[in-house]
Amino acid sequence: MHVEKFSYDNQIVKQFIIATVIFAVVGMLVGLIIAIQLYVPELSFGIQYITFGRIRPLHTNAVIFAFVGNMMFAGIYYSLQRVCKARLWNDFLSQFHFWGWQLIIVLAAVTLPLGITTSKEYAELEWPIDILIAIVWLSFGANMFGTIIKRREKHMYVAVWFYIATFVTVTVLHVVNSIELPVSLFKSYSVYAGVQDALVQWWYGHNAVAFFLTTPYLGLMYYFLPKAANRPVYSYRLSILHFWALIFIYIWAGPHHLLYSALPDWAQSLGTVFSIMLIAPSWGGMLNGLLTLRGAWDRVRDDPILKFMVVAVTAYGMATFEGPMLSLKNVNAIAHFTDWIIAHVHVGALGWNGMLSFGILYWMVPKLWNTELYSKKLANTHFWISTLGIVFYVIPMYWSGITQSFGPVLFNPLGMLQYPNFLETTLQIIPMYIIRSFGGLLYFSGLILLAYNLVKTAKQGTFVKNEEAEASPYDRDADKLKRGMIHRWLEKRPVKFALLSVIVILIGGLVEMVPTFLIKSNIPTIASVKPYTPLELQGRDIYIREGCVSCHSQLVRPFRSETERYGEYSKAGEYVYDHPFLWGSKRTGPDLAREGGKYSNLWHYLHMQDPRQMSPGSIMPRFPWLLTQTLDTTTTATKIRAMRSLGVPYEAGYDRYANIDLAKQADVITQDLINNGVPAEPDKDIIALIAYLQRLGTDIKVKTTATK
Amino acid sequence: MKSQNKIWFSILFLAATFTGHSNSWAVQVQIQPGGYDLDAIMRVMTVITLLFIAFVIWLAVVYSEKNDNEGRLFKNPLSNLKKYLVSLQPIEKEAEILLDHDFDGIRELDSRIPPWYSFLFYGTIVWGIIYMMVFHVFGNGQVSSNEYNQEMQQAAFERQLLIKSGAFISEATVTQLTDPAALSEGKEIFQKDCVTCHGQNAQGVVGPNLTDDYWINGGGIKNIFRTITNGVPAKGMISWQTQLDPKKIQTVASYVMSLHGTNPPNAKPPQGEKWEEPKTDSANAQK
Repeated sequence: MHVEKFSYDNQIVKQFIIATVIFAVVGMLVGLIIAIQLYVPELSFGIQYITFGRIRPLHTNAVIFAFVGNMMFAGIYYSLQRVCKARLWNDFLSQFHFWGWQLIIVLAAVTLPLGITTSKEYAELEWPIDILIAIVWLSFGANMFGTIIKRREKHMYVAVWFYIATFVTVTVLHVVNSIELPVSLFKSYSVYAGVQDALVQWWYGHNAVAFFLTTPYLGLMYYFLPKAANRPVYSYRLSILHFWALIFIYIWAGPHHLLYSALPDWAQSLGTVFSIMLIAPSWGGMLNGLLTLRGAWDRVRDDPILKFMVVAVTAYGMATFEGPMLSLKNVNAIAHFTDWIIAHVHVGALGWNGMLSFGILYWMVPKLWNTELYSKKLANTHFWISTLGIVFYVIPMYWSGITQSFGPVLFNPLGMLQYPNFLETTLQIIPMYIIRSFGGLLYFSGLILLAYNLVKTAKQGTFVKNEEAEASPYDRDADKLKRGMIHRWLEKRPVKFALLSVIVILIGGLVEMVPTFLIKSNIPTIASVKPYTPLELQGRDIYIREGCVSCHSQLVRPFRSETERYGEYSKAGEYVYDHPFLWGSKRTGPDLAREGGKYSNLWHYLHMQDPRQMSPGSIMPRFPWLLTQTLDTTTTATKIRAMRSLGVPYEAGYDRYANIDLAKQADVITQDLINNGVPAEPDKDIIALIAYLQRLGTDIKVKTTATK
Repeated sequence: MKSQNKIWFSILFLAATFTGHSNSWAVQVQIQPGGYDLDAIMRVMTVITLLFIAFVIWLAVVYSEKNDNEGRLFKNPLSNLKKYLVSLQPIEKEAEILLDHDFDGIRELDSRIPPWYSFLFYGTIVWGIIYMMVFHVFGNGQVSSNEYNQEMQQAAFERQLLIKSGAFISEATVTQLTDPAALSEGKEIFQKDCVTCHGQNAQGVVGPNLTDDYWINGGGIKNIFRTITNGVPAKGMISWQTQLDPKKIQTVASYVMSLHGTNPPNAKPPQGEKWEEPKTDSANAQK
């Protein structure tokens, strides 16, 4: 048979590897800083661009999309060429993809500290960047499919199935969740409101974990682990079963982020049961990984690469068991909103994504530079430091999570909350935060060792830009579909394979979303709930800009311990004008859903100036600029018009005199502040924010029966 | 007694104990419903009991295999089950199941999917179907609002019991305390919760001066008790009734009254109206 000569593009892999290492350092450094800010709030120095609320999304975006993103592209471009026996389809597209992606990262790094954010977790970037992401992502997809189509290997390897699922699903997720109405170049409102926005966001958020942090990495595992171990993949049958089960079931599990929320109960239950069903499909990946190492365990002892991979796959197994357990309502009731979740995601992020990335980098860099790893000893040290780092990170976070879970729910013999002041728990967990940041520091130091080791390795080798290869093209004669060979048949048909994946991943989302959007009874309306006043709307946008949602939820769950502490539990109908929803996912501070009227305007004013004036020991950063920065009221009219077109019932033409109402309301608040002895001015940001905070949760006034 | 019988007896014994215990727990829980600790203990005990049972079963498996190897006694069906559930193709015989797949040197085995794995997979699906049925078809499950109502009814019931027992002081029944122990407890609460607004010596900062003759919402133990309990949200005084129990509010109110006339430095000018103790109470207050 005739043999074709061609070359693999190593240059693009090298570029993505360099970007991976750089952004790993950046992303984890920011993580370390915000971890320390949680016990040294002064670390933001009163500078708005580096407060927790603004750089927390910078940390998550950097590690997910910059570090893991670049790593996944490096790994995919390396392995895809080799299992397809073909050079990447188009060199220009590869470069466009690379530079486009780095541009997105830089834009994120600039806009997030500036407070330009949609506030939707892991989808914070504003609409122009969303469009850019879509374009670059499609260029990656085109390049990948081009390569698959002109492959010389008859069948697609299991890694490629995972890459295809990643591409099609992330496309769908990104597009649907990013549908927003622009009000300016840097500001938009989600077209969905309240409960519906929450459902779409967590369908996205959950599956960003599934299809950005899991499926591509499973694909990478299927290539790099058998390569590094030099063993056959344990079970082809298991690959098929767990691949299809995983992508079908994963999509349904999003509502487990919204248990006990205002989301309809049936949707919450679907989230629970599909999460439990997800255990086996997830473990399929772990089993295939660990059992592939059968017969190579003796080498795990002295090969740091295999060590990294074993810990990664084990961490994956742990996290994917813990996840379903956290989706059980009784477990979720105590773990949700606490540091337990922070521990859980870091088992996944540091353990699964981090350790697998390190293993792959240590394997791939010597191959690309045609040399041996500079120092195996250093890699071993890195392994132990990282593992210790994970331990020091997650154990204190579990403790702190347990404290946050069980402290606030305790009642004393008189039937009152044992710890009625939220701050009491916060002060208890500060030592845990300190230990956690030490764990983070260890993990970060390991990363520096990796960077040093890889640079040294590259220096001692010679980079091969285009690696020569040869293979014979496969026989393209269509073969008949045979009983028992359906999947073999499908593996030869990338387009059909991709279409089938799309169908499989659409089902869950459609079943959950369509009824929530179309059936009225799922969101019972409440007559007393009215749209925000213009000043409150502006205040809400400041709340979004400052990232308050990072630490404060706006969702009181139907538990006695919560209604006692915060007030009546949240109803779906209260959120119908919330574009976007601001339920939050973490309570580093107390819930704010019923904040309105709890404290005086003056209290809020002084509390924003320096939280420790009003709550000694508080770990909230200072927001002094809100007192001096002038509120931009030129946007009011556009914002009102945008809200109107999203269905918020402001009367027609209200945009023209909205600013008059805004000034009136601002004057009332300012006068009250001045009467109480602070030099407030009506045109400052703080006035709008106070107006918003005082409005929160006041539309329905329900007396709690038990306490009165 | 034969060894295998011993094992079966211990299993039966444990199972009986377990059933017995779960009954008595259920009784206890009914006596004191909503008892958080009992619930937790019950769960832990259940897990421990199940672990014991698992341990005995495991012993049975190990023990029977040993007997089996010596060719005596009985062959435990569990050993076959275990072999069926978890055994893997021996590594030497791997070539038999090696597929002809080769991707850049990566080969694939045609290993069977371990049956324990399949059971886990299908088991969770069956569990999921049952869960949805129980909660949303037959309606036996508690959706969140039911759960909440039940919890609140329970709390209301317990509160009634407490009120009957006289554990609550109200605005109508509150009296000023003057004993040093109560005042020092009041001082402690004051230092923790009140000084941010009223100042270290109650001289007034954001909130009013509490040491002069003037009161915005009325002086005297009953008014002060009410103001602390309900707050005056419009003026910035928050309600403390969810944070401090009535007894604590009484002590802190008494402490505040004991500060009357202390003339602290930097005192805030008087606010509100001059308060004069009604005749009948004044004798009481000066006691």
